[in-house]
Amino acid sequence: MDLGLDSDELVSCVACGLCLPHCPTYVISGRDAESPRGRIALMHAVQAEGAPVTDEVVRSMQTCVQCRGCETACPSGVPFGHLMEGTRAALVSAGRITGRWQRLGLAALGRPRLLRAASAGLGLLQRLRMIPSARLGLPERIPLRRPRLRASGADVLLFTGCVMDAWQRPVHRAVQRVIEAAGAGVTPTGAAAPCCGALPAHAGLERLSKSMAERVMAGLEGLGGGAGEVPVLVDSAGCGAALKDYGRLLGTEEARRFSARVFDVHEWLAPRLDRLPPVRPLEAAVAVQDPCHLRHVQRAHEPVYEVLEPFVESVATLDDDGLCCGAGGAYSVLEPERARMIRDRKLAALERSGATVVASANPGCSLHLAAAGLDVRHPLELVAQALEVPALRA
Amino acid sequence: MTGLLSRAAGRVAGRRRSRPDPLVADLVAALGPDRVQADAAARYLASRDASIFSEGTAGPVCFPASTEQVQACMRIAARHHRAVVPRGAGTGLSGGAAPLGSPVVLSMTGMNSVLEVDLDNRVAWVQPGLVNLELSRRVAAHGLHFAPDPSSQQACTIGGNVANNSGGPHCLAYGVTSAHVAAVEVVLSDGEVVVLGGLEAEPGGYDLRGAFIGSEGLCGIATAVAVRLTPNPPAVKTMLAAYPDAASAAATVGAVIADGMVPAAIELMDARAVAVIEEFARAGYPRDAGAVLLIEVDGMDGGAAIQADRVVAIASANGAASVRVAADEAERARLWKGRKNAFGAVANLEPDYYLHDTVVPRSKLAEVIEAVGEIADRHGVSVINVFHAGDGNLHPILAYDSRIEGMTERVAAAGEEIIEVSLAAGGALSGEHGIGVEKRDHMDKMFSPADLDHQNRLRQAFDPHCRMNPGKVLPSPHSCADIASLKAADGALWG
Ligand SMILES: Cc1cc2nc3c(=O)[nH]c(=O)nc-3n(C[C@H](O)[C@H](O)[C@H](O)COP(=O)(O)OP(=O)(O)OC[C@H]3O[C@@H](n4cnc5c(N)ncnc54)[C@H](O)[C@@H]3O)c2cc1C
Ligand code: SF4
Ligand code: SF4
Repeated sequence: MDLGLDSDELVSCVACGLCLPHCPTYVISGRDAESPRGRIALMHAVQAEGAPVTDEVVRSMQTCVQCRGCETACPSGVPFGHLMEGTRAALVSAGRITGRWQRLGLAALGRPRLLRAASAGLGLLQRLRMIPSARLGLPERIPLRRPRLRASGADVLLFTGCVMDAWQRPVHRAVQRVIEAAGAGVTPTGAAAPCCGALPAHAGLERLSKSMAERVMAGLEGLGGGAGEVPVLVDSAGCGAALKDYGRLLGTEEARRFSARVFDVHEWLAPRLDRLPPVRPLEAAVAVQDPCHLRHVQRAHEPVYEVLEPFVESVATLDDDGLCCGAGGAYSVLEPERARMIRDRKLAALERSGATVVASANPGCSLHLAAAGLDVRHPLELVAQALEVPALRA
Repeated sequence: MTGLLSRAAGRVAGRRRSRPDPLVADLVAALGPDRVQADAAARYLASRDASIFSEGTAGPVCFPASTEQVQACMRIAARHHRAVVPRGAGTGLSGGAAPLGSPVVLSMTGMNSVLEVDLDNRVAWVQPGLVNLELSRRVAAHGLHFAPDPSSQQACTIGGNVANNSGGPHCLAYGVTSAHVAAVEVVLSDGEVVVLGGLEAEPGGYDLRGAFIGSEGLCGIATAVAVRLTPNPPAVKTMLAAYPDAASAAATVGAVIADGMVPAAIELMDARAVAVIEEFARAGYPRDAGAVLLIEVDGMDGGAAIQADRVVAIASANGAASVRVAADEAERARLWKGRKNAFGAVANLEPDYYLHDTVVPRSKLAEVIEAVGEIADRHGVSVINVFHAGDGNLHPILAYDSRIEGMTERVAAAGEEIIEVSLAAGGALSGEHGIGVEKRDHMDKMFSPADLDHQNRLRQAFDPHCRMNPGKVLPSPHSCADIASLKAADGALWG
């Protein structure tokens, strides 16, 4: 079957195996079919050698978290994420993955009102104890009402997204407060840009993700009165990675220009830290969990440490080379057992760090880790909290 | 592989839903369904390693969790007259883990625990699936590490290191794997468990441990390994010397060793390597250099500094245009980053590479490098040289695009000629990557028929029925396996 993959990209893998220890599914299973090298070899077998798409081939692709830890580890620069998205798109077309219900669910992400209704419904079921929240990776208490976000200027746009806006609006509030403290006026994007399209792209729904991308770009055109040059700040690593990829996804000059103005909020803040008032650091031993989409995809995890440093007592780096936590967008719901096994390793690394608070810059990761009983905050929630208590000047 | 697949596909037509295989049924009964994979995808993947050799098709792939399960697999395979191939991480470069025929593959990745650490004697019993670098990480808190450091150390397993007697840049002073393994627990092909070697300084009897290390999976399966741990040196000095040509770099290597020093590592990179690596890794190598040496000395604080001064003096006396001593850990890491990324850099050049591995006497290094360049040019393939110069272990990397008609054959021809010039210079077939399939048919260039027959006899003392990793290392007719029939016998794959 033709997977429609680029032959140069496919053969750029030299099968050295150096990616193996950076792949969460290989680390927990020790199996070649659940390794980057194995997945690429199977793509090659299917596309170039006429091998049939057996159920095991499909499973091999489905079990990938799409964390792209293999990409940063690969010395030959194999664009694994791109290959996997292409493979999944071909498998969707062939009707092998991402069934109808899943497709409907993903389409709903781009429809804020439907999403809000669904979220409220889940919140109610949760309060009636009719759904196992932790097992489904849901927040402990889905909010039934959300605090309002109000524009305070148009120096920057704050991308608010879909599920995160429904469930974690307090994070957006905290982020907005920190940006404002740094002297910039913020316009939250809200319904103007409903969903970045990352989850559909991961599921292989190429058309849906493209149409979502186009909608975001159109919605943000001139939002807040800006001339289309205003930075788009993102406080969710997964969304940021998707927005930064529009240039490649849509292949237009306009999309490339749009992607160039997208920044992870920490990336934007790190060089502007001197604008924030001096504070007394929070008394908290914080460990930073590097979301894969920040570390391996955006390759921009370091600013998080820089931003946190002045605001908390101690910042620990984990010793696991940024191995995935197992959240992987919808992965924790679709592959709960693997997601848990991967998370166990992250929990062990967090335990070794001795920290009591985990800072995570991605909503999916923080939900997944919080479901294991950890105290997880967005890095800028910690900063916002520290900013509430002005330092006693010496 | 393409040919093999279509052949297999042709043969299987009409046999799609075959009866459950009794071999698989027995394996499942012994290990449980989760630990046996008999599907085409798993077998396809177990049919290859990091090399370009893949002539057979794996049979069922087992993931044993204990020595007892390995024993059970061996007994079942024997009962079904099937061969067994052990597999670590599959980073081998000579086709050692790529099966011939259709054997049962035992993937050892699940047995990856540290069983016991004895800090007083600096020995640890570990399982064979433990990753090399992971072992060093686990004992780092005690100021110890496992000295053999293959460039693949982040991925390769201790079992694979033992089987290939692997080395690495730091093996010049510290010795290769065999110098760091005190004992091995082995499951033989009939399922019996033996412990070879021992923790005491001079175990009695024959050195069967020594015979097993480097046996490439032909003598049994290592199920536990007693590794020696090395204290981290208190002081390390890393230097980069740049030369106008490879000959003066090679002369420095000889002079340093003649001076009585044994640096922890001496790595040589030729002009093409420097250019390619610098482009990719930006390690700060002088781009115009004809060759560079990366030299590391270690020891007590004062000792390392004195050695470093001497190395700098010798390098300059032998024509180094510049010598840089890394000022801090960051600079040291940057210098090594270049060396460690050499393979990746080459992979950026062309889609495929063939990493060769021969040994030549140090005194002949310069002329062999030149000959290698000439051979590659003549066959129209790119070559870069990055290697452990201290022990004369040459690693020419041939970069090419296998999609170009006839290219693979040209690379193979160049590879053979490189072997020939190495042997003609008084060298050896393989430094550290093993013989496997890759160099099997060159063994008779280095060993006499009597030598080879004796090697086969030793192997049969371990494995009388020739069931372990057959068709590897020893060429026909000195192998107990019928290699030609192994190549022909492939099971139906994508059934
Ligand atoms: C990029 C790169 C760099 C490399 N650099 C070096 C280097 O610097 N030095 C070096 O020496 N090698 C190097 N290698 C080669 C390779 O990594 C080593 O040979 C390594 O020891 C293989 O380990 P593995 O776990 O991948 O074994 P595999 O490739 O899986 O197997 C290798 C052999 O060991 C046997 N085997 C595996 N496990 C067992 C067991 N438990 N009992 C018995 N037999 C077993 C297999 O049958 C096979 O014959 C490199 C490879 C790559 C891809
Ligand atoms: S993906 Fe990269 S690191 Fe992994 S095997 Fe292929 S070339 Fe090596
Ligand atoms: S994306 Fe993540 S899970 Fe998928 S192959 Fe790469 S490292 Fe493994």
